[in-house]
Amino acid sequence: MGINAGYFIRESFVSFRRNWVMSLGAVITIYLSLLLVGASVGSSVVVNNIVESVEDKVSIRIYLKDGAATEDVDALQAALLADDRIKEVSYTTKDEALEEFKATMEDSPEIVDQLEVNPLPASLDVNLNDPQDVMDVVESIKANETFPNVADKPEEPEKSLKYGQQIVNQLFAFTRILRTIGVAFIAMLASISLIFINNSIRLAIYARRKEIGIMRLVGASNWFIRTPFLMEGVLQSLIGAVLALGTLGVVTVYVMPIVREQLPFLPFSISSTAAIQISLILVVSGMIIGAVGSAFALRRYLKV
Amino acid sequence: MISMRNVGKRYVPDKPPALVDVNVEIEQGEFVFLVGHSGSGKSTFIKLMLREILPTTGSINVAGQDLIKMRNWKIPYLRRNIGCVFQDFKLLPNKTTYENVAFALEVIGRSKHVIRTQVPEVLRLVGLEDKIESYPDELSGGEQQRVSIARAFVNRPPLLLADEPTGNLDPATSLGIMSLLSRINKTGTTVLIATHDREMVDSMRKRVIALEGGRIIRDQSRGVYGYGD
Repeated sequence: MGINAGYFIRESFVSFRRNWVMSLGAVITIYLSLLLVGASVGSSVVVNNIVESVEDKVSIRIYLKDGAATEDVDALQAALLADDRIKEVSYTTKDEALEEFKATMEDSPEIVDQLEVNPLPASLDVNLNDPQDVMDVVESIKANETFPNVADKPEEPEKSLKYGQQIVNQLFAFTRILRTIGVAFIAMLASISLIFINNSIRLAIYARRKEIGIMRLVGASNWFIRTPFLMEGVLQSLIGAVLALGTLGVVTVYVMPIVREQLPFLPFSISSTAAIQISLILVVSGMIIGAVGSAFALRRYLKV
Repeated sequence: MISMRNVGKRYVPDKPPALVDVNVEIEQGEFVFLVGHSGSGKSTFIKLMLREILPTTGSINVAGQDLIKMRNWKIPYLRRNIGCVFQDFKLLPNKTTYENVAFALEVIGRSKHVIRTQVPEVLRLVGLEDKIESYPDELSGGEQQRVSIARAFVNRPPLLLADEPTGNLDPATSLGIMSLLSRINKTGTTVLIATHDREMVDSMRKRVIALEGGRIIRDQSRGVYGYGD
């Protein structure tokens, strides 16, 4: 096959040059599609980061009544720590709670000044391994037998507990929708690219139908006739993928810092592993699109 | 070399068939004319031998291979045993004489060494050694047909099919092409020529198979084109 490899590569480049308008069209379509695919995968990574950072802030706060017995509090803390859904439990004293409150009320210190006694309860802050467990953990805290002994309002357990279930639920719903839209989008773009590659290979076949006829006549094997077209399709989409990758690289290097500056409260970032994954996705899916698109065209337009 | 038994071909149901009950045996090294009007079934005959189409009934054997049972992927290998020449030459306009002939070897994966020795040799055989670098539009019709014969023969196939090889050529040029085909036949290659060039057939006195309405109406060695028609 040694002599053939050179032949195929030469042929696919020659055909690329000969039908460069159509090839360019295919390359640009692939380029834009993969660019959008890359952008939506990249932004879903960013959104995931943001969601995770919000999730981290979801914790359960147990308000403790003033003068709760230390051993009861310790017992509750130990019981909670024994639960493997719970990452950590920290104790906030009344004074710390007041300091926190003062910090949040920095802009209107007169409210704090009006306080004569510290009305804020001490609390246990429970951080979870997986924020989705929040409801279950809340139930198990309510069921804990030492909980009524220490809770700020034992008769109304709901009021002694504060957790961000609502926010998390909405966030999850939102990201689910985003992901669905992203998948639909990618599927659409992939089919557009497939159609375009299909068309460009069809034209390439048409432009060379005489040659193909003679090849069939003198007994060129089927794969020998097909391979240059297949390689042409793969070549087109590979070029498109590399261009898309380059553009995304430029965006990450030059545009991301600006966005970060504008929205400092959101963690805009893409880890290098994610970047490598995205590159791989783009190149591999580009090649698959190219191969499938041209294989499809060959089946339909090249009877060998 | 070629054996057809009870071969029939019907392209469209309810329409008259293209071939009916054709029985032909052609031996290795024969020179055969296939004659008949347009629509008599000559082209169908040629297409069946190239396995471009399958017969509706009957069995065909070409170069030792059963075409009915043949797998699709094996067809290219059958065609390497059959050289083909057509009325319209089918040359690639952007390739020189040499490249056109070399192309036939290139695409069946022959080595550069084989190409470099066989192409000049076959061009010498057809008398075009001076036109190696010419493009088809710089050649006369007869010369173009010689290139196409060179391409068909460069791989030394045991069978050469020619479909109206002199259809576009004047009588003098046609005579040259026929004597070239006859010379190729003398090397042991079986030659089958579909034609309606009456003078040519009559002057050569070779085996003639006459088709009419898809049937063989006459098959005689050292025959002529026919009477009256």
